[in-house]
Amino acid sequence: MLIVLVMHVFIIHSVFDFTWDIVIADALISTILLSGAAWGIILLVRAYPTTAAITLYALFVAMFISGVTVLAEYEALKWWSDTPTQSHYIKWLSRTLPVRFLVIWIFNTWMATITAFRKNLAAMDSRFQLQADASILLKEAELFKLRQQLQPHFLYNSLNSISALIMISPERAQDMVGKLSDFLRSSVKRESDDNVPIDEELRYIQSYLAIESVRFGDRLCIDFRHDYTDDATIPPFLLQPILENAIKFGLYGNTGIVHIGIHISLQADMLTLSITNPYDPDMQPPRGTGFGLAGIQRRLYLLFARTDLLETQKDGKQYTTTLKIPQLHVQSNTN
Amino acid sequence: MYKVILIDDEPLARQLVRSYLQPHTNMTIVAECGDGFEGFKAIQEYQPDLIFLDIQMPRLNGFEMLELLDEPPAVIFTTAFDEYALKAFETHAIDYLLKPVVRERLEKAVEKWLLTAAAKNSNTVAPLLENNVYEGYQHRVVVKDNGLIRIIPAADIHYIEADDDYVRIVTKAGSYLKKSTLAHIEQTLDPQQFVRVHRSYLVPVNQLLRIEPYEKESHIALLQCGAKVTVSKTGMAKLKTLLGW
Repeated sequence: MLIVLVMHVFIIHSVFDFTWDIVIADALISTILLSGAAWGIILLVRAYPTTAAITLYALFVAMFISGVTVLAEYEALKWWSDTPTQSHYIKWLSRTLPVRFLVIWIFNTWMATITAFRKNLAAMDSRFQLQADASILLKEAELFKLRQQLQPHFLYNSLNSISALIMISPERAQDMVGKLSDFLRSSVKRESDDNVPIDEELRYIQSYLAIESVRFGDRLCIDFRHDYTDDATIPPFLLQPILENAIKFGLYGNTGIVHIGIHISLQADMLTLSITNPYDPDMQPPRGTGFGLAGIQRRLYLLFARTDLLETQKDGKQYTTTLKIPQLHVQSNTN
Repeated sequence: MYKVILIDDEPLARQLVRSYLQPHTNMTIVAECGDGFEGFKAIQEYQPDLIFLDIQMPRLNGFEMLELLDEPPAVIFTTAFDEYALKAFETHAIDYLLKPVVRERLEKAVEKWLLTAAAKNSNTVAPLLENNVYEGYQHRVVVKDNGLIRIIPAADIHYIEADDDYVRIVTKAGSYLKKSTLAHIEQTLDPQQFVRVHRSYLVPVNQLLRIEPYEKESHIALLQCGAKVTVSKTGMAKLKTLLGW
């Protein structure tokens, strides 16, 4: 504003030949009014309730305020210099009004456009924020739903087995209640989707497999191989549905003993878990096993934004499901 | 003496029902089966009055097994299924027991069955099978072939044709008759893959080779297997919406 003031003084003084007091008064009044106009524009544009057609509104405000400013400037200067000696100044003043209006209008339009633009930007920002929040919520809800899907069937069938065991072998029933409680406790306890140490996840898996062994008796045979993986972590609840799937496929395609193989290894930054189950190529998969691998694939995508972490492979009568978990955090822990 | 068969893939689940039935001296358990195949064989062999049937089982599930029986016995389902499926059971007045099975509830079901058995009105399964109680669509059709049970993957089907009380399922390995209606088969298969192009024909979309005008308002579809089937006016409309012509 000071620059505007000085420029104003300089231009009027050097181009036109007026006395200092008039020049300074003209400059002061013009600058003060212009500042007022700018302030008014900012207030008016900001007070505009939405962002729809805000630019048009801003241009209109700028035009209106410019008119008012020029009129006020003219009236103020005329009143101030209302003496016979200044008559030629007033004449000059009224002649320069169009130029003054043009300058003020350009300045005001610039001001108004910037304010409108800023407001638009802020609105867009908050919309983005809202959208981001919504997608986070959606993601959490989806993950929760995917985790929930594995529960009810399993629970009811286990309770049914316990009910039977109470009559034939109360000790085994008690044992089964203990295993089921272990399983449920770790399901309930782990609320978040943060990675857990692989050992913790394997304890959970063991309690799950123990229950399945009781349910299906001698038919189920688990072959567990486990390399050194102490440092590895895994998102909870991923492994169990895959095993559930393998057990179902294995049991439903065969009537004899079913061997389920689990092999876990860690290479570089990748934890690899492969699960094998026998499978009869002539049989179509049973429908409605519900959860299946699609849910796992979806969860892996939500967690890692990758689609190549789950692979299945048919090899003769063996069906292998391979799950890979990137171990990115291992390095960050050393910091 | 009533003959009873227990069909469930979990030994303990069968054990539970067995011990609940012990006090019923007028009932004898003639067989226990671990999957639908065994169940089918045992039912044909023993002609039981009542079966306790699980739905999710190895090889052949409970519904598929029932479909294969010409005269299914009275059924009490034992299942850990969700409410969705249970609605279907309720509307058809067939009894079901939710797992974990409770003695009191089993007694009620048996009592109810004894009443209907006395009235010799046991064939209540048919309407249930007519209605689609499956969750989702099947990817296979189960048929009897000279006493053997054959599972036909949906992908192997060339087309399905209505034939009186039967449907003829044509595959590259041959054709099979199944006692069912085309409407029922249509319901169980994925509508994105199978289209009822005519009152008498159900055709997989990927089998279609070419469609030519035939008579007024009807077309002829040439299939990859070489067969030609009639396409009615409504069938043509269905194809158009499905394939987006």
